[in-house]
Amino acid sequence: MSIVDVEGLKYKYPDTDKLVLDDISFKVEKGEFIGLIGRNTAGKSSLCFALSGLIPHFFKGAYGGKVLIDGAEIKQHDMGEIAANIGLVFENPFSQMTGSKYSVYEEIAFGLENIGIEREKMISRIDESLELLDITAIKDNNPFDLSGGQMQRVAIASVIAMRPDVLILDEPTSQLDPQGSAEVFKVVENLTNEGITIIMAEHKMEKVSQYADKVLLLDNGKIIDYDTPANVFSRDDLLEFGIAAPVVTRVAKALGIKDAQSGEYPVTLAEISRENW
Amino acid sequence: MTELKIDSLHFSYTSDARVLKGIDLRLNDKTTAIVGQNGAGKTTFVKLLKGLLQPDEGVITLNGQDTKDSTAANLAKYVGMVFQNPNDQIFKNKVVNEVMFGPLNLGRNERDSRDKALAALKKVGLEHRSGNNPYDLSLSERKMISIASVLAMDTDVVIFDEPTMGQDFAGKETIKDIISELRNHGKLVLCILHDMDFAAEVFERAIVFNQGKVLLDGPSREVFANKMVLEQAFLEQPQVMQVAQAFGLEGSYLTEDELIERLKG
Amino acid sequence: MGSMTLYVEKNSIIHNIDPLTKLLYVFVSIAATYIVPAHEFVLLVAAFSLLLLVLGKVFVKILPIIAISIILIISIIIVQGMFHPDNETILFSVGVITFYQEGLSYAALLTLRVINMLSAFGVLILTTKPDELIERLIKKGMSPKIGYVFLSVLQIIPQMRATMAKITDAQRSRGMETEGNLLVRLKAFFPLIGPVVLNSLNDTRERAIALEMRGFNTKGKKTFLNESQEYPYRKVMQLLLAAGLIAAIMWRILL
Repeated sequence: MSIVDVEGLKYKYPDTDKLVLDDISFKVEKGEFIGLIGRNTAGKSSLCFALSGLIPHFFKGAYGGKVLIDGAEIKQHDMGEIAANIGLVFENPFSQMTGSKYSVYEEIAFGLENIGIEREKMISRIDESLELLDITAIKDNNPFDLSGGQMQRVAIASVIAMRPDVLILDEPTSQLDPQGSAEVFKVVENLTNEGITIIMAEHKMEKVSQYADKVLLLDNGKIIDYDTPANVFSRDDLLEFGIAAPVVTRVAKALGIKDAQSGEYPVTLAEISRENW
Repeated sequence: MTELKIDSLHFSYTSDARVLKGIDLRLNDKTTAIVGQNGAGKTTFVKLLKGLLQPDEGVITLNGQDTKDSTAANLAKYVGMVFQNPNDQIFKNKVVNEVMFGPLNLGRNERDSRDKALAALKKVGLEHRSGNNPYDLSLSERKMISIASVLAMDTDVVIFDEPTMGQDFAGKETIKDIISELRNHGKLVLCILHDMDFAAEVFERAIVFNQGKVLLDGPSREVFANKMVLEQAFLEQPQVMQVAQAFGLEGSYLTEDELIERLKG
Repeated sequence: MGSMTLYVEKNSIIHNIDPLTKLLYVFVSIAATYIVPAHEFVLLVAAFSLLLLVLGKVFVKILPIIAISIILIISIIIVQGMFHPDNETILFSVGVITFYQEGLSYAALLTLRVINMLSAFGVLILTTKPDELIERLIKKGMSPKIGYVFLSVLQIIPQMRATMAKITDAQRSRGMETEGNLLVRLKAFFPLIGPVVLNSLNDTRERAIALEMRGFNTKGKKTFLNESQEYPYRKVMQLLLAAGLIAAIMWRILL
């Protein structure tokens, strides 16, 4: 059974006419890393909200179709039940700090306290998350005294500690400087190595092609393509959908350089270094 | 020609943490990107240029006038700045009124301000939204509105703080066009950037800030090829440079067209 | 950037008392000084509150607060000393101004009550960590949501100061003058208040989403990271306080 199963998902925000999600269907297998790309109005954030249950439970509106996470239909359960199974991290690190805790350690405990995890288990989960996110050194700091990159890692740790089936990240590095960005991508890589299923909306195509198993291209609320990075970025019509392939792919396309075996254009720098040039 | 002269600039927020430790720069006609890690002093530097902060030591002169002699509001006639977060600025309930705020403050009359506002909105591609409430627009559209607000003020110097943050491909192209147009009109354009690709492609000059000092200052072609110095400042080289190196090329490439030409030949 | 807390980090007997007991003390001591309007009694209670501050090593902190309320105290003394309805016996005169004994006596009572109130609250606020107090209350049954609102406000409002500064910079750089006479400053109010309010609303909405995803609305029993601390003599102290209050009420009814 796929861990994420979306069937005919349709959605319209209240008091609007346009469908922001228009008949979306796709599946994600356990442990996969899906890169979600598309122009700014394509519906990426709305899809992230729909996968995490915020649509329809937090954002009311017209909803159709099904979203199943690990077999359970999102619409049939309320947020209280869903929250422990799905993690969501978004752009602004600051608004993800609860504000009611004075240390990073307690901040991470917040979610675990809410879902009633017993104390000893709580401690071992928090320690694990601190390790995974490389923030053990700042565990006693006040969450608001951190850099953007650190705060974002605390946000991810807080969500991961709840052991969700799926982790959704909506442009997590948009507001970070290059160092913060690099920190976040590094921990996302750790997480995917641990076997966690990840769906990440991103504009940095180089990173998408580096980490993603599959790329989901959205435009106007519809799925345009759902395939490996090599296949999606090899398309000729990407600009029509408001995106550009990674630089290395664009250069390779212009020169007609394809991988001898797969017949596809390279999407990462590593592939070029392997070529005899 | 507009000239900003910065001599021996020192600044600290508190007595023990010196943020800027002696900056000397002459900024005139080239479009200039300012790069560096968070905490390197870039934002503090532009705030000083805008008169929002006063130097501890050193002088900033704009076209011969010491900026210390003006209030920030007064300097706004000559130096405009687009801030990072449009939500820190937008307060009117109609887009066009928001964009008119700047010119009106500078003393233009209502009619003139409206014309300038609509022209600016056209440049960012939002003239069809002039009657909407800014908060009904997406974050990236609001960023465009804050850019229009500064364009409408028609200042000699325009400073951008992370304009490409959160923008998609189309948004970045629009900003590229705006910067070109400003340059063609003889404006001095300064831009704080984390997006090294955009910096390399669009800006003629690059200044690398690190720990309150200027680490490197020169034509983009030279600065972005200097891997060692960039690493010192915790910066990566632009993608185009990295691709060129992966192909085993030496030399400096700022745009993919350049690289493609070279590889074809 | 700190939070808006007055808590003073120290290790004292008072710091180690159960927050709820301290809360009870605030209530009982203030109530008692109203129930028993005898000068000697109120003086005793006020002195005791001040003693608690000394034991808590935070006595110094209350002095500025009492100093600020000097204005209130002086106005009490003047108003009551001169105009209390039961005024008969002249105590002394300064030119045309006459102070009466009854009024001054009443003023003394009120002043002692004010000092006691400030000191009792001081004992609670200066020696108790806000999150510990709230957690104790939640364990006793207070809604965790109310507790959350209280605590988050303490930390988030100071953060807003930073945002306020950014907003002021943004508007100044569009030519809005902030330096100058009152009229200038008043005009500057609106371009500042709009973004501040909208920013906080936006922030609040995003935070609500984050809280939702952290199980804020999950039904069922909540657990706590921090173990319940054992406070020695907690029951004894609370019983004594309750007994004291009852005694005061009895005194009032019977006398």
